[in-house]
Amino acid sequence: MVGYVCKYTPYLVIESFGEKTVRIEPETNSCEVANALTHPNMCSYAKLVLEDIVKKGIDKVILTNCCDSIRRLYDILETLPFIKFLHIIDLPRRRDQKGKFIFKNEIIKLITRYEDFLGKSFNRANLRDLLNNMPSSTEKRYRDLNIVLIGGRCRDSLIKIVEEFGGNVLYNLTCTGNKPSYRPIGMNEDPIEAYANILLDSYPCIRMDDTKERVDIFKDERRIDGAIYHTVKFCDLYSYEYASLKDKLDIPLLKLETDYTDTSEGQIRTRVQAFIESLKKSINKRENTTKREKRLIVAGIDSGSTSTNVVIIDSEKRILGYSIIPTGARSVESAYKALEEALKIANIKIEDLSYIVATGYGRIGIPFANLEVTEITCHAKGAFFLDRDVRTIIDIGGQDSKIIKIDEEGKVIDFVMNDKCSAGTGRFLENMSRVLEIPVERMGEESLDWKEDLEISSMCTVFAESEVISLIARNKERKDILHALNKSIVKRIVSFIERIDGEPKYMMTGGVAKNAGVVRCLEERLREKVIVPDEPQIVGALGSALIGLEKLEDG
Amino acid sequence: MEKIIRVYSSLIKRNLDKPELVKVLIRLGLEVAKVWVDYVGDKNAPESLRYLNSICFKFILEPLRDPNNSAFVNLLAPTEILHSMDIYPLFIEAYSSFISGFYCEDTFIDKATTEGISDTLCSYHKTFLGALELSVLPRLKFAITSSILCDGNSNTFRYIANRYRIPYYIIDVPYKYSEESVRYVVSQLKEMISIIEAISGKRFDIDRLRDIIKLENKTRRYLKLYLENLKNHTMPNSITLEMYKLFVTHPYIGREETLKFFKLLAEDTVRYPDSGYRIFWIHIMPYFLYPAQRYLNFNGDFKLIGCDLNFDYLEEMDERKPLEAIARKMILNVNNGDFKRKIDNIKGLIVDLKIDGVIHFCQWGCKQSFGGFMLLKREIEKMNIPFLAIDGDAVDRRNNPEEQINTRLSAFFELLNQRGKRW
Repeated sequence: MVGYVCKYTPYLVIESFGEKTVRIEPETNSCEVANALTHPNMCSYAKLVLEDIVKKGIDKVILTNCCDSIRRLYDILETLPFIKFLHIIDLPRRRDQKGKFIFKNEIIKLITRYEDFLGKSFNRANLRDLLNNMPSSTEKRYRDLNIVLIGGRCRDSLIKIVEEFGGNVLYNLTCTGNKPSYRPIGMNEDPIEAYANILLDSYPCIRMDDTKERVDIFKDERRIDGAIYHTVKFCDLYSYEYASLKDKLDIPLLKLETDYTDTSEGQIRTRVQAFIESLKKSINKRENTTKREKRLIVAGIDSGSTSTNVVIIDSEKRILGYSIIPTGARSVESAYKALEEALKIANIKIEDLSYIVATGYGRIGIPFANLEVTEITCHAKGAFFLDRDVRTIIDIGGQDSKIIKIDEEGKVIDFVMNDKCSAGTGRFLENMSRVLEIPVERMGEESLDWKEDLEISSMCTVFAESEVISLIARNKERKDILHALNKSIVKRIVSFIERIDGEPKYMMTGGVAKNAGVVRCLEERLREKVIVPDEPQIVGALGSALIGLEKLEDG
Repeated sequence: MEKIIRVYSSLIKRNLDKPELVKVLIRLGLEVAKVWVDYVGDKNAPESLRYLNSICFKFILEPLRDPNNSAFVNLLAPTEILHSMDIYPLFIEAYSSFISGFYCEDTFIDKATTEGISDTLCSYHKTFLGALELSVLPRLKFAITSSILCDGNSNTFRYIANRYRIPYYIIDVPYKYSEESVRYVVSQLKEMISIIEAISGKRFDIDRLRDIIKLENKTRRYLKLYLENLKNHTMPNSITLEMYKLFVTHPYIGREETLKFFKLLAEDTVRYPDSGYRIFWIHIMPYFLYPAQRYLNFNGDFKLIGCDLNFDYLEEMDERKPLEAIARKMILNVNNGDFKRKIDNIKGLIVDLKIDGVIHFCQWGCKQSFGGFMLLKREIEKMNIPFLAIDGDAVDRRNNPEEQINTRLSAFFELLNQRGKRW
C-alpha cells in the first residue's frame, strides 16, 4: 500500500504497477508522536499525517512539495527507519506548457524510481487503461440550497454535516475536493503526458501561480446560496483567499477553522446548522398564518457548557418563570432539573407546556424537546425581543464567544464565533479567578477601582496565565491585574466585532456580561453604551421560547 | 531614546485614519533615524558595522522616496536584475522589521487579522499586509518574488498586487537542481524581464547585468575572507547588526555600497582578538528581546559569530551567463530543497567557525524553519555542541514569553560555562 496526500499525486502510475494506493486521511486526534518529531505549531494536518504514517506503519509514501509543512514532513520521514519507499514530486506552480513539461518529467522520475524499487518495468498500456476507466467530470446537481465548500483540506464529516442540515455541496474546492476531469486517451497519445496535463488542468489549489479559476465559480452566484470557507489551524495559505473573498461575495459566507481532528465537531455542527438555518430563512418567505386563540405556554432550554437556563413564557410573551443552574456531568439531567425549577416558579406542571425548544451545546441530547435551534438564532431572537434597536449581540459564555449581527427585523445577518480556543470566554475568567484567588462574581466590581494601567498582551489563556503570575510576582495590585485582564478580553471581543462590522446598539449577554469591569472596558473601547439585560444568562433560553411560540402560532 | 520612539509610535497609531499622513510619518521616521545613525550611531560597533547601519537605512529609504521607480521584493528575489535596471527594491521583511522597531507592529498585525489573514501566519507578512490594509504602504510600480523560502511569499505578493492593481511576477523555483530546472527558471526570468521593461519603460542590458554579477562575485570574495578571518578573531556584534546583514547578503548584494561594506568588514575583523564562547544563531533574530540583547550584544563572554541565513549561498557566479547564474543561485540556495542541505551547511559552518553553542529561534508561523528543528537539533547534538531552541517572534512583541526566554538563555549560557569551550 502506497500512501499519498496531495490531489496532484499521479497515483495511477503506481496502480499501473499493480500496487494499491491510499490517500492518507488521518483519523487520529492525538499528535504525541508528531510532537516529538517536529514543532507543535506545524500545520495540524501535516502532524496528523505523520502520526498516521507512524501508527499505521505506512512504509511507502509519495509526497509533493506542495507546502512548507509537507516539505518538512518529507524530511522527517526520511529519517524514519521503517519507511521503505519515499519520494517527493517537485510540483510546478505554473499550469501552462512550461509547468506541464516539468511535471511530466517529474512523473517519469517517479516511474523510474518505482521501477528500481520494485525491480519491475512500467507498462504504458496499463496506465492508459486506468486513465480511460476514470470518470469524466459529472454534471453539477443543483438543489434547493446550494453551498460552495472552499479552502483548505477538510474531513468528510464536514460535508456530511452540511448535507444533514439540508445543504447541497455544489462545489468542493478544498484540497480533498474537486477531482480532475478525465478524458479518453488515444492509442497514439503518450499517457504520461496526458496524465500530467489532466492533473494540472484540474481546479488549481491555492499554491498555484494563477488561481483565478477558483473564484470564477462564484460568477454562478445566482445558483449558489452560500459558501463555507474552511481553514486548518496553522495552515495559513488559504486565509489570503478568504480575506480577499469575504468582502467581494454577495452571498453569505461562513468561516470555519478546525485542527483536522473531530474534537470540535459539536461546535462545527452548531455553526453549520445556524448558517444553514439563516440561509433557509432568507430563501423561504414566511407565510402569514392565523394565530391560535388558545393560551399557549412554551419553555426554552439553553443547555450551555457552564450553565443550563430555562425560560417559560405565555402567548402574550410574558415570562412566567426562569432558572439558571450549573450544568453537571450529564446535560440531560441538568436540563430536566432546570426545567423543574422554572416550572415551580411559574407554578405550572410540565403537562401545561405546549412546546419545548432546546438550544445550546447540549440541545441535541434533550429527549423531551420538540425542536432544537442553535444558540445563535436564539440569542438574536431574545436580544431583539428585549430591545428592538439592538444590532449587535455580544454573547460571552462559558467556553464560547459569539458576536451576532442582526438587521432591523431581528434577522441574523452575520456572526463570528471563537474556535476551540477559550481565550476571552468565561473559562478564561474562571482560570484567572483561581490564580488571583477571587470569586468570579467579585472580579468585575473589584476591577472598577483600578489605578495602574497594566497590560496583558497575550489573549491565549495559557500565556495570559503566565503573564498574570509574572505580575503577581512583581507585587502588582490585584484590581489592576483584573483591569488588565478585562482589557485583554475586550480586545478579542472588539476584533470579532470588527470582523463583522458590528454596529450599535450593542447588547451583551451570557455570564461574562455580569462582570461590570468587562462591560465598562468594552464601552470605553467601542465608545458606545452596551446594554446588559437584567438577567443576561437567560437571553438564549428566552429566544428559544419565543421561537417555539412562533412555531405554534404559525401552525 | 525608547521614549521618543514610543511618542512617535503613538503619533502613527493615532493618525491611522489619515493614511497619507502616516506614509509621510513613516518615511520621516526613517529619514531621522538615518541622520541619527550617520552622526551618532552605536558607539560600541566597529566602523564597518556602523557603515552597514547607515546603508540599510539608505536602501530602505530609496523606494520610499521614489515609489514610481521601485518594486516590492522578498528576501530571495533576483534583485540583480533590478539593480541592473536602476530600479529600487523594497524588501518587505525589512519594512516589517522597521515597523516593529517603531512599536507599531501590534496595530498593523491586528488590522491584517481582522481582515481575515490567519493569526498563525509569519508576523513579517502579517505586518506588511496590515500596512497594506491600512493603506499606509506606498504603491510601488510592480512586485516580484521567488517561491523560496516559504509559502507566504507567493500569496503575500499576489495579495499586494491584486489590492494595488499592479503587475506581479512569481518565480517558481524548483525544489531539485538539474539543467532542466535551470532552464525552467531562466525562461521565467526572461519573461519577467520583458514585463519589467514594459512597465518601467527601461531597457534591459545583459552587459549591465554581467557587471552587477561581477560586483557580486567580488563582494562575495570579501564575505568569504570575512568568514576566513572569523576563524581566528571575534569581532563585536549585536543581534540587530547581524540581522542588518540580511540586506547585504541578499537583496542589496550587487551594489557598490555592499562591496564597500564587506571590504571594511573583512578588514575590521582582524583588529579583534579571539575571545569568549562562540555562539551561532539559526534563523532570524528577535533584536528587541532584552534577554538576547543582554547576553549577545557586544558581550565579552558570549560572542555572536553569525547567523546561518547570511551564509546560504557562497558560490562564485558565472559572469558570462548571468541569467543561468541567478537561476543556479536560487535553486541551490541552502534553504531550498531538502532540509539536509541546510543541516549540512550549518554543520560545515560550525566546524569552520569553531562554534561552542547554537541557538535556534523558532519564529512564530515559520513552518519551513521550525518544522525541521528537531532534525537539526539531533545532528548538532551528535557533534557534541549544545543546542537551544527558543519559541518567539522577531516582529510581534506580544508573542514572546520574555521571562521564559530569559530563563532558557541564562540556563544555556550557564551550561556553556560549565562545559567549557568546545574547540
